[in-house]
Amino acid sequence: MQASDAISTGYGSAKGNYLTNGSTLASWLLTKDHKRIAIMYLVTVSMFFMMGGLYAAAIRLELLTPASDLLETGTYNRVFTQHGILMIFFFLIPSIPAILGNFMLPLMIGAKDLAMPRINLLSLYIYWAGGLLTLYALMQGGVDTGWTFYTPYSTTFSNSYVMAVGLGIFINGFSSILTGLNFIVTIHTMRAPGMTWFRLPLFVWAHYATSLVMILGTPVIAITVLLVAIERTVKVGIFDPAIGGDPILFQHLFWFYSHPAVYIMILPGMGVVSELISNFSRKKIFGYEFIAFSSIAIAVFGFLVWGHHMFVSGQSVYAGLVFSFLTMVVAVPSAIKMFNWTATLYKGSITFDTPMLYAFGFMGLFLIGGLTGLFLGSVGLTVHLTDTYFVVAHFHYVMVGGQVIAYLGGIHYWWPKMTGRMYSEFWGKISAMLVFVGFNLTFFPQFILGYQGMPRRYAAYPEELQVLNIFSTAGASVLGVGLVMPVVYLTHSLVFGAKAADNPWMLPGLEWRTSSPPPTENFDVMPVVTWEAYEFGEENGLDLEAARRSDVVTA
Amino acid sequence: MSDNHEQHDHMNIPKYVGVFLVLVVGTILTYYAALVDMDSIFPGANTLVALLIAFTKMAVVMLFFMHVYWSKRLIWLSAIGSFFWLAIMFAFTLQDYLTRSEGVFGR
Amino acid sequence: MSAHSATDKFVYHEPGLQHQFEDMGQQEESVTIGMWMFLVQEILFFGGLFTAYLVFRYRYPMAFAAGSNHLDAFWGGLNTLVLIVSSLTMALTVYFAQKGNRSMQVILILLTMFFGSVFLGVKAVEYTDKYNHGLIPVTGWNKKTPAAEPGAHSAHSAKPCYEVEHGGEHTYVNPHGDFLWTDCSLVKTAMDGNFLTSAEKAGYFDQAFAPGAEISADKFRDKVRIFFFLYFVMTGLHALHMIVGLGLMTWLLWTAFKGYYSAEYYMPVEMSGLYWHFVDIVWIFLFPLLYLLGRHFLHTH
Repeated sequence: MQASDAISTGYGSAKGNYLTNGSTLASWLLTKDHKRIAIMYLVTVSMFFMMGGLYAAAIRLELLTPASDLLETGTYNRVFTQHGILMIFFFLIPSIPAILGNFMLPLMIGAKDLAMPRINLLSLYIYWAGGLLTLYALMQGGVDTGWTFYTPYSTTFSNSYVMAVGLGIFINGFSSILTGLNFIVTIHTMRAPGMTWFRLPLFVWAHYATSLVMILGTPVIAITVLLVAIERTVKVGIFDPAIGGDPILFQHLFWFYSHPAVYIMILPGMGVVSELISNFSRKKIFGYEFIAFSSIAIAVFGFLVWGHHMFVSGQSVYAGLVFSFLTMVVAVPSAIKMFNWTATLYKGSITFDTPMLYAFGFMGLFLIGGLTGLFLGSVGLTVHLTDTYFVVAHFHYVMVGGQVIAYLGGIHYWWPKMTGRMYSEFWGKISAMLVFVGFNLTFFPQFILGYQGMPRRYAAYPEELQVLNIFSTAGASVLGVGLVMPVVYLTHSLVFGAKAADNPWMLPGLEWRTSSPPPTENFDVMPVVTWEAYEFGEENGLDLEAARRSDVVTA
Repeated sequence: MSDNHEQHDHMNIPKYVGVFLVLVVGTILTYYAALVDMDSIFPGANTLVALLIAFTKMAVVMLFFMHVYWSKRLIWLSAIGSFFWLAIMFAFTLQDYLTRSEGVFGR
Repeated sequence: MSAHSATDKFVYHEPGLQHQFEDMGQQEESVTIGMWMFLVQEILFFGGLFTAYLVFRYRYPMAFAAGSNHLDAFWGGLNTLVLIVSSLTMALTVYFAQKGNRSMQVILILLTMFFGSVFLGVKAVEYTDKYNHGLIPVTGWNKKTPAAEPGAHSAHSAKPCYEVEHGGEHTYVNPHGDFLWTDCSLVKTAMDGNFLTSAEKAGYFDQAFAPGAEISADKFRDKVRIFFFLYFVMTGLHALHMIVGLGLMTWLLWTAFKGYYSAEYYMPVEMSGLYWHFVDIVWIFLFPLLYLLGRHFLHTH
């Protein structure tokens, strides 16, 4: 079979698509279609993202002035805690896997659906339940412990709604577990004929690694939060040092999940960027196996480094040394990815479409975030930097500069496939630039602030630090505009956007060989994969320039 | 499919009862072993013996009752892998607790 | 089957085949992998509790031994045997499901449910016993015994705590339903034998490193309370899994009774079996770790 035939005819259907297949509320709420579930995730996750963003805005406004004037210190504690909880548990962790992964994984491997569609729907409902409980707690007054719930403050002293939020996170954890379980099974058993492991797109490999972390880590946070809840209710003292308990044990259990959790957030982002870099360089990715296995290596090594969050918490010095050394080791697989992406760009036919701009943003920002992570992972330097804005800047460079930017890149990249419409490329580029500039202006000053000793989680700070804080708040406004713009022009494109071609970027991946938007069954006939991943070539009918010249696809 | 359908050729009722008897013997053994003071040989000997018996019982249940013995490598891997991850959690937590009193901040 | 023509297989709808799969083989493989991934996360779920157990037991071995000595190893051992029998009946259920034997399936599922219920019944007996003896680690959740009740002894004896025996036939004065623990004879034994660690001394003694440090009944009680807390959380979570398992069995009983399963389609039976055996395995570890540690102290001292 000629690949060009496959691409020009496609496996897609002219009979209708998943969006037109039923329009009642029940057809959405009771659907077993992974694409519809992904869309419902998209809507909910975006709402949580906007709420988390509002809290971030409140934080930056408060820090505009040295005194604690806009928010009281107690309120400020609640605001930054809510920001952290909403962003981490309800945006960063579900965003790429549950939206893009859910939508694209079956399409990319040539399956009709995930292996367990009903469990997929269940995970959405669990996410909603956990989210509603958390929202309820926030409306009641929220929680002020920081997203880390450190004991004994959270179990004994805090007067906020620790129980309700903790329970919300406990419930939400099972949504994550079920998603991971579903992905692992799907990747093992649902691949189309010819789709061997080493023909899988790297996005799929990244999701496999992410799912491993979800399954192996999330149950531990569940049981830990459960212990905190029991301790808070019945005061047994397991985490209370005054009566023989051990708060460090809580930190071990908490970080056993929560450090690998940052890889749940970043690994799918890396998967998206692998797709973008290769596809918009129109070149086979350099070092496919290395990128694939570095995802698995990150998932495994990520479990061995949690103690670097506890260097100054009373952990033993030997443990600190071991954790510090392993933290350096875990940087290696991330670096392997960076080098391979760079090598892929070399001599590629790069087009600067919106998703690619985000991918470039990711590479630069994640590099800074990753390298500053090494500063924080070295036992000596971290004594100075612990709990300062240096830490805040570091993880925002990884989480926002890495994950959020990759997520936005992925949304733009797959938007024509998901909705069948093209967004405005002009506004897309503008917003990508604004996000990049705004982000750097917001968080780069925080590295300096942290190094100068400004502690995190305080509503007030010394006056000599105000200039940099003003920069940061100004940057946050630009970033805010850059993040709101996609909401506007993407929504606009749903109605007014040009109809997208089945393969608007002229790419070889399986998801581009069905119609846009795909039919409910994804492919009319079972696809048979005869090509390697990222196999470009004009002989395959994948000449983007020619296609654009002849108006086959919109530019 | 064929794998699963071959399974019941491997086990039969006498074999299941045999596995069951091994488990019963293990339970009785673990009880009486706990009554003997083996900690005087070396500290933790009682726990070690108890855990060895428990691991044996677990292995028997997994291999024969849960049919892991005739399952694909992935099942073996997930069974072993989950305990490997438990071991990571135990070992890396304990490397902190066991070395608390040593080094520059120790006694 | 051989009588059917070749075209029959196209109209023959395999029982229980979901729309997303191509054939039963793919479905069975998916379901099996999915179930095992679920069990992997269950192992890590219990793993957090085992880590807590490990850390506290490493730090306060004598408190854990003392607490463990007050659990009833007879009931614990009996429950282990009961659970093993239920595992056998479950394994045989799967065996007969593979053979397509409906009546044996129904009988064996009923037996499995019976033994599962016996297990929970024994747990209820044990929990009640703890309730009566003031061993539930939560203030106010134990049996409240007013001071005026005849035959009640004072918990606060004039004797040093290592000469007070816990439990037995006494009824303690416990007007608020506190966690009651007065017996620190095991610490005394360990102290005399000179094998207390410094962490334990700091945990059990007033002014641990001053000459002539005294065992503090209150401080020791707090450590024993952690043991009982872990005992209740671990066995409680296990019992919760048993209850879920019984629910699963009820559904299985109904479907097996209706004859849903055949030699070609018995995946739900096999998957429920995996879950049941997993719950059994958890208990295989809980029994020696909770009931039997330090048991030899009762016999050698």
